[in-house]
Amino acid sequence: MKRLIKENLDLLLNDMERFPGYYVWIGTLIALIVLGNYALLMSLIYSLEIFEFSIKIPWGTMVSNYVFLVGSSTGLCIVSSLGLVFGLKRYEPIAKRGYFMALITIIFGMASIMLHLGHPERSPIYSALTPNLRSAMWWMGIVYPPYIASLAVCFWLLARQGLAKTARESVGLQSKIYGLMALEGLKAYLYRILPLERLEAKTYRLLPLEKMGLALDSDGADLRWARIIGALALISGLLAYTVESTLFAHAEARPFWYGALIPVDFFLGAALCGLAWIMAAGIITYKVKGEVIPARLRDLFYEMAQILALLLSVELPFIAYKMGHGLFEPAKGKTIMLLLKGPFSPAFWVFEIAIGIVLPIFILLYAARQKKMTGVLVASVMVLIGYFVKRYVFVVASQVYPVITKGLPSYLPAFMEVLLIIGIFGGLLLAFTLGEEYLPLKDEDKPVTL
Amino acid sequence: MKKAAEKIDRRKFLKIMAGTSAYAALGPVRPAGAQPYRFGKLADTTRCIGCKRCMSACKRWNKLKVERDELVSDRETHLSAQNWVVVNFRADTMNRTRRTYQHWACQHCIQPACAGACPVKAITKLPHGYVVVNEKKCIGCRYCYQSCPFKVPQFDFEKRVTRKCTLCFDRILINYSKPACVAACPAGALSFGYKHEMILEAKKRLYKVKSAKHILGLKEAGGTDMLTILTAKPEDLGLVVAPPKVVNQNLDKLRITAAGFMSASALAGMMYLYRTLTGNNSR
Ligand code: SF4
Ligand code: SF4
Ligand code: SF4
Repeated sequence: MKRLIKENLDLLLNDMERFPGYYVWIGTLIALIVLGNYALLMSLIYSLEIFEFSIKIPWGTMVSNYVFLVGSSTGLCIVSSLGLVFGLKRYEPIAKRGYFMALITIIFGMASIMLHLGHPERSPIYSALTPNLRSAMWWMGIVYPPYIASLAVCFWLLARQGLAKTARESVGLQSKIYGLMALEGLKAYLYRILPLERLEAKTYRLLPLEKMGLALDSDGADLRWARIIGALALISGLLAYTVESTLFAHAEARPFWYGALIPVDFFLGAALCGLAWIMAAGIITYKVKGEVIPARLRDLFYEMAQILALLLSVELPFIAYKMGHGLFEPAKGKTIMLLLKGPFSPAFWVFEIAIGIVLPIFILLYAARQKKMTGVLVASVMVLIGYFVKRYVFVVASQVYPVITKGLPSYLPAFMEVLLIIGIFGGLLLAFTLGEEYLPLKDEDKPVTL
Repeated sequence: MKKAAEKIDRRKFLKIMAGTSAYAALGPVRPAGAQPYRFGKLADTTRCIGCKRCMSACKRWNKLKVERDELVSDRETHLSAQNWVVVNFRADTMNRTRRTYQHWACQHCIQPACAGACPVKAITKLPHGYVVVNEKKCIGCRYCYQSCPFKVPQFDFEKRVTRKCTLCFDRILINYSKPACVAACPAGALSFGYKHEMILEAKKRLYKVKSAKHILGLKEAGGTDMLTILTAKPEDLGLVVAPPKVVNQNLDKLRITAAGFMSASALAGMMYLYRTLTGNNSR
């Protein structure tokens, strides 16, 4: 045992010497997580109040961050299904990374909202015992678990062969762990005891997968099931995100949240985020590893960049319409003026409009034309930052009226809240880094091998 | 007498039965004011002298924490988890010389939006009119605060649940006495009784007292079981103004959810379109 530990420690130290950057990065992320946990501990010792910059604005960054991450997850699921469910072959290389990221963003998003609840432990109990069908919040608790489960299963099915391959190529404990993750024996067993073949054929017809040009016999069993579960993930994801948007859109007493335009806004935002995340993550991974992006993937990224630019240019008139329309409603008008001219104007004009929409459009179009990968990366990150701020403004600014009549000196989040959010992002990035390192997320430059 | 009873033949009996069951199914169609056994609280701001005795009585009965300066008469007070009722000095913006004290607490809406929003049904409207938070059930999400048209339910950071005025249902049901705040009022500004009596009383005062101009709670947020006689429109007094519509409309919620489904399907449709247009062989 002692010898084993020593050997592994030696291995680790050698590794550290060879790749110091990687370990510095991991160390930083762990430090961030520690900061987040410190904030959490303080909230348990003192009070939840340290997460609030005003008790009259009870929903702050933790809620907006949740909305941001859940939107990202939906967007990632949407973009990944283009290849897996809609049968666009050129999108297949990003599916694995896409589903993995959709899974981790939703998990950390859920963590963000769970920590914001006063009594998270009661929520499953009383949601089951006394459901309130009129409450969007209750429906949210119902629709998200199936979505998360189908994302997880879908990713696992896609990654299974890769895991099995690593298990075969490695030795000792590592081989065992990977073998366990791949669950090699389970498949044959399941096929023996369940009429899965018939089920496959039926589901392919039911979910119009065959219409999408996905023939049943051209896929392996894993891929067949990944397509089926992927379709379910897409459906449940869209459903869940609808519920998520109605959580805000139902609140008639919050005029800026209320209305039928909000779901449109949410879905548009999800699509933007999904594209931006997948490009940013893909390009960064290749850059950091110092590998060349395969030509197919390059073309795909440029195409996605153009779509992102297109969506952003749809978003701009949509925002103009939403704001202009709202200005004529007395209840909404005041909040909108907070954005246009009031304390939220820097966030709105600089982050939401300039950094989040206008500049990226130009950068993306330029980068797609000149074939500059860095441009695509920068623009994607800008879109994400802009969208994060947009969600913060959306959540916080709506709560100012009618209770805060004279305004607050500052609408920035509380210090502890920032620490917690930093911790959540630290966890998200750590999960992503470890996933890139140990799971088969890599995009292969072959047509149908996922 | 006997004849009359015989006259109710089978057909008529069935009709009556059908009528009653339809009534039971559809719920009360009469305006809320006419409901029997519904209690209501009436606050008359033309009589309030701003002594804040209601505030301290409420704290005593409900065992809430007292922050001393809040009970000083001219201090601005805010609803909080320890402050279920506040009394504030307010001037009419249309005529600044006209100033009154406003007794402000949960309005006990007839169709409470807070109860419609709570995911775990921790908030209930009891038959006699009280809207009560079950603190053992509340998960502390604060969605009720967001959907309350008057912004009443407040989060208690110690207990980590939401709390608010209960209309002293525990006093009335157990001890059969008036709410603590009503019992404490020395100026007769607060009264409590059957809802229809309260409405009549409020209307009478509106007619008799010259400065009384508006009864808050007859129409706001679909009607509330707490009525307040104001000297001006609520918006002129700087009170929280409820949206004109009923806030707990299930139909409206369905409409918006349908809009959500439509945008989701539009997105899926667009993805399909994108797939058909670009196909597999582009570039
Ligand atoms: S005033 Fe607010 S808290 Fe009180 S019953 Fe109405 S919606 Fe609920
Ligand atoms: S804070 Fe409590 S009472 Fe209010 S909606 Fe949430 S669970 Fe219900
Ligand atoms: S009715 Fe009872 S709980 Fe409500 S304000 Fe008066 S004393 Fe407080």
